[in-house]
Amino acid sequence: MNHDLSVMMFSWEFPPRIIGGISPHVYYLSRSLARNGVKVYVVTCDFPGAPQHEVVDDVEVYRVDSYKNPSPDFATWVYLMNMNMQKEAAALVKSLDNKVDVFHAHDWLVATAGIGLKHVFRRPLFATMHSTEIGRRNGINSDYERMIHETEAWLTYEAWKVICCSDYMVSHVQWAFGLPEDKLIMVPNGVNNEVYAKYENEDLSQFRRRFALPEEKIVLFVGRLVYEKGVHVLVNAAPKILEKANAKLVIVGNGYMKDQLSALVKSMGLSHKVMFTGFVDDETLRRLQRCADVSVVPSLFEPFGIVALEAMAAKSPVVVSDTGGLSEIVEHDVSGVKAYVSNPDSLAWAITRILADSGYANWVRANAYKRIQEKYDWDKIAQYTKAIYKNVLGEYSKSFWARTS
Amino acid sequence: MRVIILSWEYPPRMVGQLAEYVRNLAGQLVKEDVETYVVTYHDYLTGGHDDSDGVKTIRVTNPVRTHIGVLTWVLTLNQEIERTAANIYYGSAKQVDLMDTYDWHFIPAAVTLKKSLGIPFVYSVESLEEHRSHGANSPFNMAIKSIEWLGMYEASKLLVKSEWMKNEIYKIFKVPLEKVKVVSSESPHLIKDVLGVYKSVAEGAASG
Repeated sequence: MNHDLSVMMFSWEFPPRIIGGISPHVYYLSRSLARNGVKVYVVTCDFPGAPQHEVVDDVEVYRVDSYKNPSPDFATWVYLMNMNMQKEAAALVKSLDNKVDVFHAHDWLVATAGIGLKHVFRRPLFATMHSTEIGRRNGINSDYERMIHETEAWLTYEAWKVICCSDYMVSHVQWAFGLPEDKLIMVPNGVNNEVYAKYENEDLSQFRRRFALPEEKIVLFVGRLVYEKGVHVLVNAAPKILEKANAKLVIVGNGYMKDQLSALVKSMGLSHKVMFTGFVDDETLRRLQRCADVSVVPSLFEPFGIVALEAMAAKSPVVVSDTGGLSEIVEHDVSGVKAYVSNPDSLAWAITRILADSGYANWVRANAYKRIQEKYDWDKIAQYTKAIYKNVLGEYSKSFWARTS
Repeated sequence: MRVIILSWEYPPRMVGQLAEYVRNLAGQLVKEDVETYVVTYHDYLTGGHDDSDGVKTIRVTNPVRTHIGVLTWVLTLNQEIERTAANIYYGSAKQVDLMDTYDWHFIPAAVTLKKSLGIPFVYSVESLEEHRSHGANSPFNMAIKSIEWLGMYEASKLLVKSEWMKNEIYKIFKVPLEKVKVVSSESPHLIKDVLGVYKSVAEGAASG
């Protein structure tokens, strides 16, 4: 394929190394950029069994020995890993005759590598801020956290553009680092609806029986069982849901609140109506999402809310709490139903609204699926990202860096 | 010849005796018609630039103000060292013959600059973590030793001040003896000896 521009991505995780959401994000963004005529190099940390160099879906992946230096703590490990990543990436760019147009760093975990390479090769640097230390910790409480916060601030300062995945994160990052508004761009996270296609025509009635009786509607929650995910709000909404519909709450995931939640369910006398599955594999999860009558995301805090997008891609109607990224993903009464945050009555109302009217549920389901394809399609996200690269390269071409490097 | 000296101390910021030594050397290099840059750290005590004695001094600060230890401080500061050295390189028609880097602090920058811009470097070893920490081998000490090792591996030549240090480097890091050059700071022909090493490194790089 003829490439009209090239990008080198830095990420501390890339499949098969999966720690959090950055790994699938960089994977899908990279392969979609490659499909849209961008030459993509990913420089990432090594993983047992994964090769040092391979081509995955036309993306050149380079893995750096990232545990070669002993480190007293995680942050020092990060900076040492960046030293090695920077060294390898510098040699790689030079071996390509400097034919890399832009650098793109994902989070502070690769900040110093991105910043250093920007200056030695004089290329524009992009930063995607997936999260912030001040958001994760709900404030800055120690020197360790402040150091990370200041590293994040430095990365956003050095970046030509800062990309965030939701309007909520744009305003959060703008506030956290005092950035000018025109430096920030919202590019949504995508969802891959292809992975649900193979279950489209599958008969799931046998599978469904493992979780609910045939006459019970499945109300699905997927997520870590932690306070900010609001599972307790859903459990507290159960009696009101059951007044209006014969339903089964299926709760997928693990977390420190699991025992507390089971005790709550027991004390409410609802053990037969709530099922905790623990962590399930991808296959089971996708089938569950396919046969859920409603998927609920009752979070109290949510920077993006990828789980709502996945449910929409699986063609399950969604109910979300009206907060953070979720507020933007769902249009109330069109592509889903929104409920007040931390309000069991409101949540029960939203859920029964879907369960009580299958015509309405199907309409919401269809709208949501259309919305996914319009806004959260990886190809479109890649095309938009490419346009951002090109735009900046246009500005860059008029700078003295373009003449000197 | 154009040389960039990387040193974490330089007058008026003096931590040990290295600052004075580097100033003396830089001044003498200028007298030998070597275009000499010193890239160093300053903590808001001095101005950013200073061209007295004909030595072009550029001082940088760390954009990350809060740290949990000297390692995180050094590893972040290196990006500013790289930025400054790269600016010198691009501002001099991409003609920098070599870098001379003192101790382990700016080894990461020297290595990146070598790999990206092809500028070779000399690693001037003043002291080693092995001796400073009396053989301690906590992850902290080991991390510093691993950076020293990287410098010895990537440098074109090591400059030391005594035969004793040359032997210690051989003993601890198994660096081939011919890579290590001894130039005593008391030597009456110090500058001639240092220039000899510089020239061999610059010519070695030029001939590939």
